[in-house]
Amino acid sequence: MSKFMQFIAVFTFMFSVQATETYFCTNELGKMPVRQGGRIKPLSVHAKESIKHLTGKSKVGDLSAVEAYCLLSAKAFGMPSKMEFKGKLEHRDTRKLFDGKKEMSYEELMQEQRTIRSAWMRIKEDNGAKKDLNRLLAKVNLYQDITAGNNWTLPLINGSETTWVPLASFLTEEKVMAMKASSSKPFETLFKNVRDEYIKTNGDDFMLEYQYDKMQLMRVAMLTTLLALAALVLFKKFTIALSFSAITLIIQTIYLVMRVYISGRAPVTNMYETVMFSGYGGLFLAMAIGHFKKEKAFIYMGLGYNVCCLMMLNFAGSMVSESISPLVPVLRDNFWLSTHVTTIILSYGALALSWIMANTIIIKKFFSKLSKNDEAYYNDLIYTSLKYGIVLLAAGIILGGVWADYSWGRFWGWDPKETWSLIVLCIYMAILHGKYTNWIPGHRFAHLIAAAFMSVMMAWFGVNYILASGLHSYGFSEGGAIFLGTFFTIQTVILLITLKSSKTSVA
Amino acid sequence: MNNLYNKIERTIGGLKFAVFIILIFSLMMTIGTFVESYYGTDFANRIIYKTPFFMGIQFFMFLSILFATFVRLPMKKRLYGFYVIHTGLIVIGVGSFVTYIAGIDGTIHLPPMTPTRQIVLNDDVIEVVMPDDNKRASLNLPYAALTKDLDVKYGDIEVIKYLPFAEKVLSWENELAKTNSPNTHSSQYNIANDNVAEDFILSLHPESYDFKASMTMGLLNITYLPKAMARCFTLPNKDKLILWNSVESVCTTTEELGIKVQKTSTGKRFFAIKNGETVYSFLPDLSPWAMDPDLRPIQNSPIRVFSMELFEEKPHLFLFGERAAFYDKDEKKWLVQAFDNKKQMELPWMGFTLTLLQHHDKKVPTYLPKATLPIQKNGQLIKGDFKAARVKIRDNEYWVTNERPVSLLIDAKKVNIYLTKKSFMLPFEFTLSRFKMEKDPGTNSPASYESFVDLFTDSGTSNHHIYMNNPLKYDGFTFYQASYSQDPETGQYSSTLSVNVDQGRPIKYLGSLLLVLGSIWHYALNNRSRKKENDILGLDS
Repeated sequence: MSKFMQFIAVFTFMFSVQATETYFCTNELGKMPVRQGGRIKPLSVHAKESIKHLTGKSKVGDLSAVEAYCLLSAKAFGMPSKMEFKGKLEHRDTRKLFDGKKEMSYEELMQEQRTIRSAWMRIKEDNGAKKDLNRLLAKVNLYQDITAGNNWTLPLINGSETTWVPLASFLTEEKVMAMKASSSKPFETLFKNVRDEYIKTNGDDFMLEYQYDKMQLMRVAMLTTLLALAALVLFKKFTIALSFSAITLIIQTIYLVMRVYISGRAPVTNMYETVMFSGYGGLFLAMAIGHFKKEKAFIYMGLGYNVCCLMMLNFAGSMVSESISPLVPVLRDNFWLSTHVTTIILSYGALALSWIMANTIIIKKFFSKLSKNDEAYYNDLIYTSLKYGIVLLAAGIILGGVWADYSWGRFWGWDPKETWSLIVLCIYMAILHGKYTNWIPGHRFAHLIAAAFMSVMMAWFGVNYILASGLHSYGFSEGGAIFLGTFFTIQTVILLITLKSSKTSVA
Repeated sequence: MNNLYNKIERTIGGLKFAVFIILIFSLMMTIGTFVESYYGTDFANRIIYKTPFFMGIQFFMFLSILFATFVRLPMKKRLYGFYVIHTGLIVIGVGSFVTYIAGIDGTIHLPPMTPTRQIVLNDDVIEVVMPDDNKRASLNLPYAALTKDLDVKYGDIEVIKYLPFAEKVLSWENELAKTNSPNTHSSQYNIANDNVAEDFILSLHPESYDFKASMTMGLLNITYLPKAMARCFTLPNKDKLILWNSVESVCTTTEELGIKVQKTSTGKRFFAIKNGETVYSFLPDLSPWAMDPDLRPIQNSPIRVFSMELFEEKPHLFLFGERAAFYDKDEKKWLVQAFDNKKQMELPWMGFTLTLLQHHDKKVPTYLPKATLPIQKNGQLIKGDFKAARVKIRDNEYWVTNERPVSLLIDAKKVNIYLTKKSFMLPFEFTLSRFKMEKDPGTNSPASYESFVDLFTDSGTSNHHIYMNNPLKYDGFTFYQASYSQDPETGQYSSTLSVNVDQGRPIKYLGSLLLVLGSIWHYALNNRSRKKENDILGLDS
């Protein structure tokens, strides 16, 4: 037995008396830089993403993601841990493969890799079962990669050059033994030295992401939004509601600025960012319009929509992933990203304000009666937010056309995303034109506006979750499609049951 | 007459018609996106977006916008925003029409260091090339989504059917020209172990264009040989050399002929053989061809040599239709096996079992096109990615596909018929001098790809750098970095640029500008009181 192995054996023995051994794995390691997925980030973020990917949760028992990730990596050096590490078997056919089990430990799954792979190969068509097996294989591979000490990368500084090596080849016998001679905590010191050296040559920009991750500003923002909404709706304290709304805006602005600084681009490049930006933009627009029109009701719409968005960000992590990853080459143009995409997303925010108000009216009418004047007043509020939404949307579509023309040589190509944005515009235009015919009387306006927002959801989520994945192969089996289906169902049910009450307005 | 026009103007320019046509337009687009998702972009374009019906809807939208403006003339001050919006839309419509009529949209494929000037467009054509008469003709095929009967003629050549989306169906056809050789057989096999299973077809028939006589499957090389050659794999053969006479279709060995194999001063084996009056000399470990006195291979010699030693190291399977030969490394000898009564045999590699599915001496395995609906997956067609046309020449009918042209003789003159994309030549030439690809650090996903091109024109050579969001504009053409491909063998990159000429561009931009400014004017600056809002229609009744 080499000295190194002896040391590891003694080292693990020292800890094995305790209940959950964590060896050198402390939360402090979250501040280590790591290069994964094409960018440099703090280990805390990478560990959280990996553990979440493997288990669906960001904690393993009492252990934080960093501790769990580190303990998994430590397995590469023969340091055992009693950590229960299980993966979910999601698809019916996948469960059948393992006697109907819904969960299995990754150690077992690793043994079964061949079974999974041959089951995957046997399925000829690209269906949900095959996709699930594919995901499972990817997870098992990730687990294997981590436990082999290959996933965790550490920087080696050589002059001004930084190379990244996996933990397995970083933690060499000489290094640990040399460190052991001078320090009572050899691993901790070793990691600390690497970090210090990295920061000396490359700066500590990655630490911003560590803080960003730690602050969890989206949770704080949700709390303040809920408080604002409660103050407004339950306690009718407008000033308090306004102050909380302002605080929310400030928090979200800080969050956005941090994110822009970390990713180096406009915060509108994936579902997570667009949802957040539209909620933020909606609240901002609502406060601005409300201020200039001297109309308090806009705050309500803005807060209502922001709550919806924040709920999604905080509770639907599997559908809208928070992680920051490099962009595909064609989108790498900050000017167009920050003009075209932000305009479109802002327009969705504005249209969502009208959707909130429309639903409020039709539900209100279902439970009590509205006078003709009230109806006209509320319809006017909807109309005002629609105006902003439509102008922004039209401008956004045109900017998109100009970008496409500039980088692909065509203004319009009937691509599903562009086509759906045009469908949205057309549907709202049809309603706006129809408003002046006897086809759309005042009492039906809100219903139509609530229904029209489904086209926004289709353009925003549906194109990615239903159309892009190909209807024929996955149907409504995936997270995003289930969410969208549920949204459409609930909205349709609300529209149907309130349809009769629409005419009950009193003069 | 004037009255009728006024009536039409008021109807088409009316709000109800606007709502109606907008909804029809939205409905068609919605269907279009779903069709696109299932059947692919090209199919959706052919069946919805670029059909006369959909164009007609757009035309009526255009009329609706135009007449709606006309009925609100003379100008009223509070409608200024409205006029600007609608003028913007009309201008965009005109610009799009100009692009549709006069614009060019194509791609140019740039292999490394090869001058190129051909632009490929999206329209399918039948190209007839008659090299003897130096004639060339391009017959347009319709932009159809489904199989279409045609009546397009060019001399004796008649295009009678066009399949824009087809799949290949295997068929064993009778040979067109009778062959007398016994070595025109073809076989279909299945090779399988616990993990993989694959069917494959090998053929020696001269009319078999879709199937070849050799293939590789991972590490395993498979070669299909004339069945008469199997005999020589069993003969005692110390030199391990088999001689094949392709004219007489017989094999023999040096040992059988009693030929002495000698060695050159550099240790290479050589021997000579007399066939009729000619003496052929061979260096069997270097080349299967006979050599002339200058050691140049004689490509048309009837005799070839086959050195078995070359195929002993790596897994190599020889198939002779109903028999197979391979080198057994354990027993250090060549084995020739026949299939068992289940038409199966075990192979010595990775637990493979080989099954003979079909064997024909004269029939030709051919892929025939069959019309199908395409299916798109992750932006790629996984079904229906095959185009075909049925061509009638005098009394015979032939399939021309995008993968295989038809070549034949009409009145002893050579004619080639291709199904291809319409193309045209640029007035200048391009060379890809360098292709640069950057990847995201530590990953394999591209971060950017860039083409460095040399442009050769009448006025000299210039160098340009084309990358995402940085196109090259020259002589009315605009070139954009679209995609790239990598040669799997050399690792060299080729670049694909999309090329475009759009005369409608400034018009569309002007229209867009008007539209946005008009919207802002209409909604933001036009601060109407609520009372006036009810009179927004601007139709003084």
